[in-house]
Amino acid sequence: MLSNYLPILIFLIIGLLMGVVMLALGFILSPRRPDAEKQSPYECGFEAFEDARMQFDVRYYLVAILFIIFDLEIAFLFPWGVVLDQIGWAGFWAMMVFLGLLTVGFVYEWKKGALEWE
Amino acid sequence: MFEQIIFYSFGTMLLLSALMVISVRNPVYAALFLVLAFFSTSAIWLLLRAEFLAIVLVLVYVGAVMVLFLFVVMMLDINLARLRAGFMRYLPAGALVALVLAASMVLVVGGEGFNEIRESGLAERGPAYSNTAELGEALFTAYLYPLEIAGAILLVAIIAAIALTQRAKRETKAQNPDAQVAVRRQDRVRLVKMSSERDSE
Amino acid sequence: MSIDNLSLLLPEIALLTLACATLMVDIFSNDPKHGPGYWLAQLTLLVTAVLVLVTYTGDSQYAMAGMFVSDAMSGLLKFAICIISLFALFYSREYLLRHDIIKGEYFVLGLFAVLGMLVMVSANNLLTVYLGLELLSLSLYAMVAIHRDSSSASEAAIKYFVLGAIASGMLLYGISILYGVTGSLELGAVAQVLEGQSDYPTLAIFGLVFVLIGVAFKLGAVPFHMWLPDVYQGAPTAVTLFIGSAPKLAAFAMAIRLLVDGLGPLLPDWQQMLMILAVLSMATGNLIAIAQTNIKRMLAYSTIAHIGFLLLGLVAGNAGGYAGAMFYVITYALMSMGGFAMIILLGRKGAEADQLDDFSGLAERSPWLAFLMLILMFSMAGIPPFLGFWAKWFVLREVIQAGFVWIALLAVAFAIVGAFYYLRVVKLMYFDEPREPDEPQCSTPLRTVLSVNGLSLLLLGLSPGLLMSLCMAAFSP
Repeated sequence: MLSNYLPILIFLIIGLLMGVVMLALGFILSPRRPDAEKQSPYECGFEAFEDARMQFDVRYYLVAILFIIFDLEIAFLFPWGVVLDQIGWAGFWAMMVFLGLLTVGFVYEWKKGALEWE
Repeated sequence: MFEQIIFYSFGTMLLLSALMVISVRNPVYAALFLVLAFFSTSAIWLLLRAEFLAIVLVLVYVGAVMVLFLFVVMMLDINLARLRAGFMRYLPAGALVALVLAASMVLVVGGEGFNEIRESGLAERGPAYSNTAELGEALFTAYLYPLEIAGAILLVAIIAAIALTQRAKRETKAQNPDAQVAVRRQDRVRLVKMSSERDSE
Repeated sequence: MSIDNLSLLLPEIALLTLACATLMVDIFSNDPKHGPGYWLAQLTLLVTAVLVLVTYTGDSQYAMAGMFVSDAMSGLLKFAICIISLFALFYSREYLLRHDIIKGEYFVLGLFAVLGMLVMVSANNLLTVYLGLELLSLSLYAMVAIHRDSSSASEAAIKYFVLGAIASGMLLYGISILYGVTGSLELGAVAQVLEGQSDYPTLAIFGLVFVLIGVAFKLGAVPFHMWLPDVYQGAPTAVTLFIGSAPKLAAFAMAIRLLVDGLGPLLPDWQQMLMILAVLSMATGNLIAIAQTNIKRMLAYSTIAHIGFLLLGLVAGNAGGYAGAMFYVITYALMSMGGFAMIILLGRKGAEADQLDDFSGLAERSPWLAFLMLILMFSMAGIPPFLGFWAKWFVLREVIQAGFVWIALLAVAFAIVGAFYYLRVVKLMYFDEPREPDEPQCSTPLRTVLSVNGLSLLLLGLSPGLLMSLCMAAFSP
């Protein structure tokens, strides 16, 4: 029933309003007298040495993608759990095979050292 | 009526945020606008009574895929100016493709195949109806074979991601407590028996 | 019942199980040459091929709630895919060892690619076609990039991935339109709905166009061929060899499943589109190949030309034409594999033999290898009595019988243009001075397997009736 989601909608709207109103109030009420010196970036009083955007290590990517894969697996587990009593043994074993495949992947990544950060 | 207002506000939000994704300068902002786009989509799916998919979209895409996007954006050393250099040049071609895609979508959704849905609207189900259960039943009976192929694809993704990024060589030096504890005296100290020698003076 | 006729899936199940076993064996063995993983991978392909033969019945049988079909075509193609991949993995290992970039993952990804191909070949549902294609493509992207320190391979992988993703997107969009129009994902049901209704076609043609673009991208037909030369040239030769062989069979099967099984009622529409693709591919491929000095790139353009010929068989639009196209694609896979294997054989660590000059004077350095290359080139050019000639002859016969005489004439004209650059390689080998006098080094197994590969084109060419009747049987109702 869609009406069950009404509180969430109200929550969203209030959350949105809170954020917008606070920022807007700060924007309107605060004194602002910018000049070139104030707006320039600084590093402990020095000129900026380099770009603030530092390159990330590729390992973050590896961790993120492995997380996605197991996150997806969970997404499949929810509907499976809900209908477990209706889908019979075929459905049960289907999920076991699915999980088995990912377990093989898990053993592989463990053995490969992809889970170690050093 | 109320539902339509909600639909159009989320729809507008979706279009605007999608537009921002391709037009803002900073790729990190673009990724964040993509989050907003996914979020609006999920709201629209919820309006279509696809509750489970809506929640999975937030869970998987907003929660995981976008984190990956942000990492990738930060991992690549993106030259912002160069990234946007071709924007105007490719705009006509891109717009044409977009137009064709949109036109075909209008044709399909406006076509006869959707008459039934358009006239009767979405079926209203009782409170006992579970979208998740319905999906699960289809997924684990009729769509069991595609599910297993999807499992194989996920496994390939794991293998590919690790094979392409994992370096066997360690770049940093760190202690290995396990080896430290397991060390024995014989490994470190060697007692050498020597005959006593006269002091040579 | 959802898991009916599970025994039909025996080859796929065995392949998946053994591929996982290969991954585990390889990761737990410490062999620097990855011997155990490699041999288990080869055993896997052999077992799968045997199981394909065992489960072969010849008539159409469905399994997994109609998602999976096993028929005469799938039997023959699956067997061919397994055997060709067996050769491809053998050549790959020689290359990877020689260039010191061997990784166990290569063989595992290769096995999963083969699994993807088998799924595509046996797909009876738009969803399984797509998933099989993704399984194949994902494995291939990773294989192209497997040599991480090579910038050309990385570039090729990125290009392949981006364009492949666009192609998948197009295909998926087309599939969604077809689903919107017909309300079903099952190929037979899609065909049934399209057969009955007369109002749908305008919409269905939109779906058809997108599906066709996706298929053309994957096959590498002009004007969707942009990725092919760069990927073929940039990828390690072992991967080029792999991509250029068995996946083409799967792409052919995908075309048949989608266009004939699913969109058969729209035959007059896709026939015209394929005609344009075929003529453009033959023209572009053959003409640009002449200008190449890099032999990998030359073979890439020659692939485009061959794909044009293959599409010609589909243009004929009847069982004979499809059988001709199937004969052609199997022949092509054998020839292309041999060609790239020769490049692997002539290369050394740090120096690939991918320039045309590397072949000059080969006859003096090693008469036998030059003879094998001569067979390969003559076969690709379509000179009798080699297998390549019969492939062209078969397709042309069906096209003419279907009434497209002018297009057959065009095809012959382009084939003659194409013969020029194949014969140039032969001329280089026999009439030019060698750049280095010594005989190319190669192991006995490599020489033997390449000889089998090359001679098969001659022997099958001397008795083309066998393969031809098998292909005909695959499409006879």
